[in-house]
Amino acid sequence: MKKIAIVAYKCKKCGRIHYPFHDRCLECKSREFDEIKPEGNVKLLTFTVIYNLPWGFDQRFLVIGIAEFENGVKAMGQIKADSGDQLKIGMTMKAGWEPVRVQYGEDVYGLKFEPVG
Amino acid sequence: MRDVAIIGAGIIPFGRRDEDTLMDMLAYASLKALDDAGLGDGSVDAVVVGNMGGGIIQHQTSIASSLVDRLSLLPAAAETVENGPASGGSAVKNGLLAVASGYYDYVLVVGGEKMREVTGWRATDFVATMTHPQAEYPYGITLPGMAGMFTRLYMEKYGVTREQLVAVALKNQAMGALNPYAHVEMALSREGIFESPHAVVNNPLVADPLHLYDACPVSDGAAAIVLCPLEMAKKMGKTPILIAGFGQATDTQTLQERDDPTDLKAVSLAAQQAFEMAKLKPGDIHVAELHDAFTILEIAESEHVGFFKKGEGGKAAEAGKTQLGGTIPINISGGLKARGHPVGATGVAQVVEIVFQLRHELPKNRQVKNAETGLTVNFGGFGNNVLCFVLRRVQP
Repeated sequence: MKKIAIVAYKCKKCGRIHYPFHDRCLECKSREFDEIKPEGNVKLLTFTVIYNLPWGFDQRFLVIGIAEFENGVKAMGQIKADSGDQLKIGMTMKAGWEPVRVQYGEDVYGLKFEPVG
Repeated sequence: MRDVAIIGAGIIPFGRRDEDTLMDMLAYASLKALDDAGLGDGSVDAVVVGNMGGGIIQHQTSIASSLVDRLSLLPAAAETVENGPASGGSAVKNGLLAVASGYYDYVLVVGGEKMREVTGWRATDFVATMTHPQAEYPYGITLPGMAGMFTRLYMEKYGVTREQLVAVALKNQAMGALNPYAHVEMALSREGIFESPHAVVNNPLVADPLHLYDACPVSDGAAAIVLCPLEMAKKMGKTPILIAGFGQATDTQTLQERDDPTDLKAVSLAAQQAFEMAKLKPGDIHVAELHDAFTILEIAESEHVGFFKKGEGGKAAEAGKTQLGGTIPINISGGLKARGHPVGATGVAQVVEIVFQLRHELPKNRQVKNAETGLTVNFGGFGNNVLCFVLRRVQP
């Protein structure tokens, strides 16, 4: 399995974690960050099942959510699920780095969450 | 700073306008506003156009320059303002500041969008280009998808129910059916979209937990206003409508970086600024046009601007407090939900509706009786750039 390629940014001054990148800390305006990798499983914060898909997605529906990694990094990702019925806010999921769409004939990789167990 | 008034307002019917180009629609709305202002054969100092997608959908840029040429308003200053679905509100703001500063006297503000030129598949992608290009867009997130995730959180935190969302949809489509400028001129029945076994087919999920009739349609349309200093407006005959207050605020681009994603900070801040400038309170407002791209947003914005406490907006909608004749009539035009949401036009269309309301020009079945004050909220991105205007009727 491919390694998760996103990088989050922890403010060296106040500790706030940012993803995506900001040139200055949202909290204290500092410009110095430590790069951190998302770690461990994720907790699902919210999700939706989209039935009207945008150009580029030739499928029936798409399950998307926002989740928080064990080290505090929060990010959006696609969810491997047949419907929203099996999902619940707060549930634990594992995160992987997999193709999320095809652009110009090539796979684009991104976060994919999957319910644990 | 000078007080600024709206002396002309015009709007064309929203909907699917296959016969018109984007420029046609901008011109038609502009001429209606200029005629309304009594400047039909006159000139203006500047033109501001709100448009989000001309460059993407029509493959057309420098739209304001084309418009002044087409309207023979040369050599008026002209520019196009792009601020996502708040482009119209931003155009109004730029016109307002230009007149308030004393630099220009007469400014034409136009908002327009032509979205039905492409398939729904393409239009959905076009709107999604406002999401974060690395952290959101690649996943296939759409604006209905963002609203779906927001709704789930709002339901969990504040107990908003499906019945409350349905109440907003029914109200706005009932009003849209009475508005000749509305895209969707069809009232809905509660049975048809919620209670009957067929509701699943009539009103399917589009972004769980939001259904088809929780969302605004994809529309073509344009709207325009003419601004000038209040003191000059008072001599022009028509009831001047003062832009008494204005506010604008931004928030993080992604929902996940907000401390509380159910807190629409930019809405609260923009409204506070507008109320402070107008020296009015939420309870002083007689009619409001809120940015109900999704039913949940009308409920959430009605709380964030201060009409209701957090968690009370849904109950208020269900109890009829936001209907015509209620304590604070909201989206009596039908809102984005029924009038439609040509993204660049919306912020201007909301102001046009409030102008009609405050000039007491609407038919009885849509007129808020004796309305003296109005408020608009134009919501860009997913709440990351919000404009709010407070308007007040002034005796000529």
